[in-house]
Amino acid sequence: MTNLSWLIPVLPLLGFLLIALFAKSLPKTLVGLIASGTVLGSFIIAVSIFLQNDGTAHTVKLFDWISSGKLHIPFAFLIDPLSLVMLLVVTGVGFLIHVYSVGYMSHDERFAQFMSYLNLFVFFMLLLVMGNNYIVMFTGWEGVGLCSYLLIGFWFKNTDYNNAAKKAFIMNRIGDLGFILGVLLIWVTFGSVNYSEVFSGAEGFTKGDKVITAITFLLFIGAMGKSAQIPLYTWLPDAMAGPTPVSALIHAATMVTAGVYMIARSNILYTLSPDTLNFVLFIGLGTAIFAATIGLFQNDIKKVLAYSTVSQLGFMFIALGTGAYTAGVFHLMTHAFFKALLFLGAGSVIHAMSGEQDIKNMGGLRKHLPITYIVFLLATVAISGIPPFSGFFSKDEILAHLYAHSPVLWGFALLASMLTAFYMFRLFFLTFWGGFRGTKHQLEHLHESPLVMTAPLMVLAVLSVLGGFLNVPEIFGGNLALKNFLSPVFEASELRSFDPHIGHQTEIMLMAIAVGMAGISIFLAYSRYVANNEVPSGDEKEMSWLEKLVFNKYYVDEAYDAAIVKPLNWISRKSEIFIEKQLIDGTVEGSANFTLHLGGLLRQLQTGHIGFYLIAMVLAVVAIFGYTVLF
Amino acid sequence: MNALISLSVLGIVAMLSEIFNFKKFLYSLILLGLVAAIGVNVMEWGQFQLWYGMMIVDEFTLAFSGVILLTGFLWFLLVADNHQDKAHISDHFAISLFAMAGAIVMVSYNNLSMLFLGIEIVSISMYIMASTQKNDLGSNEAGFKYFLMGAFATGFILFGTALLYGATATFDIQKIGVFVTEHNSELPAIFYAGLILIMVGMAFKISAVPFHWWAPDVYTGSPTLITAFMATIVKTAAFAAFLRLFITCFSGVELFWNQTIMIMAGATILLGNITALLQNDFKRILAFSSVAHAGYMLLAVLAMNNQSGGSLLFYLLAYSISSLSAFAVLLAVANLKGNTNVQSFKGLAKKNPFLAFVVIVAMLSLAGIPPTAGFFAKYYIFTAAIANNYVGLTLVAITGSIVSIFYYFRIVIVMFEGDESTEVTVGSNTKALLVICSVLVILLGLMPDFLIGLLK
Repeated sequence: MTNLSWLIPVLPLLGFLLIALFAKSLPKTLVGLIASGTVLGSFIIAVSIFLQNDGTAHTVKLFDWISSGKLHIPFAFLIDPLSLVMLLVVTGVGFLIHVYSVGYMSHDERFAQFMSYLNLFVFFMLLLVMGNNYIVMFTGWEGVGLCSYLLIGFWFKNTDYNNAAKKAFIMNRIGDLGFILGVLLIWVTFGSVNYSEVFSGAEGFTKGDKVITAITFLLFIGAMGKSAQIPLYTWLPDAMAGPTPVSALIHAATMVTAGVYMIARSNILYTLSPDTLNFVLFIGLGTAIFAATIGLFQNDIKKVLAYSTVSQLGFMFIALGTGAYTAGVFHLMTHAFFKALLFLGAGSVIHAMSGEQDIKNMGGLRKHLPITYIVFLLATVAISGIPPFSGFFSKDEILAHLYAHSPVLWGFALLASMLTAFYMFRLFFLTFWGGFRGTKHQLEHLHESPLVMTAPLMVLAVLSVLGGFLNVPEIFGGNLALKNFLSPVFEASELRSFDPHIGHQTEIMLMAIAVGMAGISIFLAYSRYVANNEVPSGDEKEMSWLEKLVFNKYYVDEAYDAAIVKPLNWISRKSEIFIEKQLIDGTVEGSANFTLHLGGLLRQLQTGHIGFYLIAMVLAVVAIFGYTVLF
Repeated sequence: MNALISLSVLGIVAMLSEIFNFKKFLYSLILLGLVAAIGVNVMEWGQFQLWYGMMIVDEFTLAFSGVILLTGFLWFLLVADNHQDKAHISDHFAISLFAMAGAIVMVSYNNLSMLFLGIEIVSISMYIMASTQKNDLGSNEAGFKYFLMGAFATGFILFGTALLYGATATFDIQKIGVFVTEHNSELPAIFYAGLILIMVGMAFKISAVPFHWWAPDVYTGSPTLITAFMATIVKTAAFAAFLRLFITCFSGVELFWNQTIMIMAGATILLGNITALLQNDFKRILAFSSVAHAGYMLLAVLAMNNQSGGSLLFYLLAYSISSLSAFAVLLAVANLKGNTNVQSFKGLAKKNPFLAFVVIVAMLSLAGIPPTAGFFAKYYIFTAAIANNYVGLTLVAITGSIVSIFYYFRIVIVMFEGDESTEVTVGSNTKALLVICSVLVILLGLMPDFLIGLLK
């Protein structure tokens, strides 16, 4: 079955080509079938490979891609437990979102183009997670960036959406520069970019080696861009301009977790560099808290979810930073389930509200959207970390590792987790409880979404509820199935890093505190938004300066604008005038004009008179004789 | 040698067709004959023959004969749509075939008398062909100008040949070469005088500055079909002859002539390109561009190493097929609009995207931009020249080719301007020619290795 693994990325690529080339002649139903069917096919192959896998790594080489001097890059795939987990998440969640999109986008005139982009995205995402070397990963890495750009700006007639797409692309490019520098340094250091050779080569390095630190740091800059961490996170909230399925697939479940996957994949390098790991930990922790506080004051349903995604990604990096790679991947997986569900549920709400995204104008929707209401509730509970929902297990594992690392940092992470519960339930209550605050027109049109949209919601809801049981900790009599499955990938790192062990009693106490705090947050949200019927006004005049600061997202966008964008624009305007127009154009056009003028003079030599021609020739012969005699 | 025989037989058949009244089949017969000639030429590859010391068949001969035959075949494809004078068709065909036979003699001579014979066969045919449009004043003027100045140049060649014979007592170029190496330090003054005169004569034939004066006027005045013949087949033969003469006879006294040719090459490149800038007639632009290309090709002669032959061969083929497709489109446009002005190409891209594409490919190749044959043609010639330390001249050549982009792209820009209501029609033979040329140009640009390896 492993031999068929090349089909996994090829199927969505075929789907993309078919739809993109024959967009005009294919009926909508067929487009939907092709787009979803190809991803389903990939999912089925991935599942069958998964069922046969015994924990060993297989390399499937397709062809020699680049061969130049000492550089040999094969186009090959690596099938091991880590890539299998990612494959299942990408194709599984991807398939559900494709199905959902068929319903969600059915009224869009560029439906076929949208589905083809989604297929192309899945193709690149699969390259990213399947490649057996950093260059194939980078190809996927850039490809998903391109698809993200295309899909954020899918409704390109809106200038704001286009700007959001450009912002996402540019922020990612900053990170990508770090990534490619890291890959180059890997090649210089190890003479190869293949994972197997790099990681076996890394065994010769001691812990804390400067080159390894530089490599891991550069790679992490790439992860900062792709996975929206401080300071490169500002593009992700703006990326919500894209259609909601895009937010679910690309900007929640898969692409933004590429950074987490990349670090988990490079775990051997990262374990060798405690400095970078600490840096990752602090960035992750900072992002988790920072984004969560912004989430408290947002009134756009998708913006809240976007900041929540940034914050949850921060949690994943906390896990990686403490060396708990399994916990990071575990949270990546459960997050993919419940965050995709939240976004798709939000999509269902937006669909019902005729495009309304402001939760100030919602309320009381549980009566009108019963299915959406239930699944959204399940996902909210899951992300808030209430047992036995999936988010509880994965987040608890991260917190436990962090506590073993440093109790003080654990306190901060706990705060972020509390904030999460609060803003998620705030969103939930404002949307589904209380009375309806929208217009009459919207009220008349309220309707539950069709089955093609609600069916994926229900599947994701089941996963969000039960996903946590994939890795039940020992104290609950669990067998840590995911940890054992992934252990071939992370074994070497675990041998090198010390295992901070905490007692069962401490672990239970930590869990109790976390759940208790979440409970308090939920209660606070309930009392404020249900019992007191409070609705955020969105009016800045009524806010205290601190609220205003957070409401305006700490003015980070404005600060970047003032510190980087404006000076850069100033420099380019000045250089356009002085360097481009005067210096370069002056020189270039000057020499061109001179040459043209010369052409005008020289063409007059061609008089057409034979007499002149003959005399010129004779004179030339005389000159040649003279020249050779004299010299 | 078989190619020469087939061409001569074809020429005689063309003349007989008038008498035996099978003019109807003549055109198809010639195309078949040319294919057969290419075939026998290829079959001969790897052989070496010396015909009584007069003619030589070696890889150099066969490779350049191949280029001449291929270009000749493509040129005859162009004839179908553009030959107006139906009454004299057999004469015209016979003359062009004999001109090609002369061109083959020019690439396979081993004796200065044969060189002279070849040059005269080609030249006299061309004087006639240039003036075939009897009612056109320009055509008459071109033929007459070409004849007068050509006779002048032939005088130089003959005089030079005589002086060389006086110094070395032989017409055999290999013996001259041996004589030069044996008496390197004690060569008589008449030898050097002969060398200069023969060099001047040959420089005229390849239209190198300052002996290029005839080229722009004759190219512009002649019927466009004939201009295409002159710019490709005649140029190929003249350059092959030039290179063989200098490599065989004069490589021993390289230091005597290399500075003169260096100055000539630089002047040709600069003058050809710069004068082309402000021309408004596409035919005249191609004429000056042909002058400029002669300058680049002189670099291969200067290189005087084992890359000279291969790079010149590649350059001539790339240049010939690119020029032929440019001339073919020019003919089609001129047939419709009645003039060869650049402005006649307005709106071509919209109405005839295929023709516009062909022109773009040809212009890219002539300007030397990858992935076309013209890029590697320049690349090989420049590397050959740099291998012999002509760095400064190569820089001049590169500057010249930058200048050339201006006028090559001017035509491309014009094609995308404005709207044109009438569509330019081209016959199936011309279409075949355009497809073959464009495919070859791109193919040679993508896989240049096999051709460049032919001559070492």
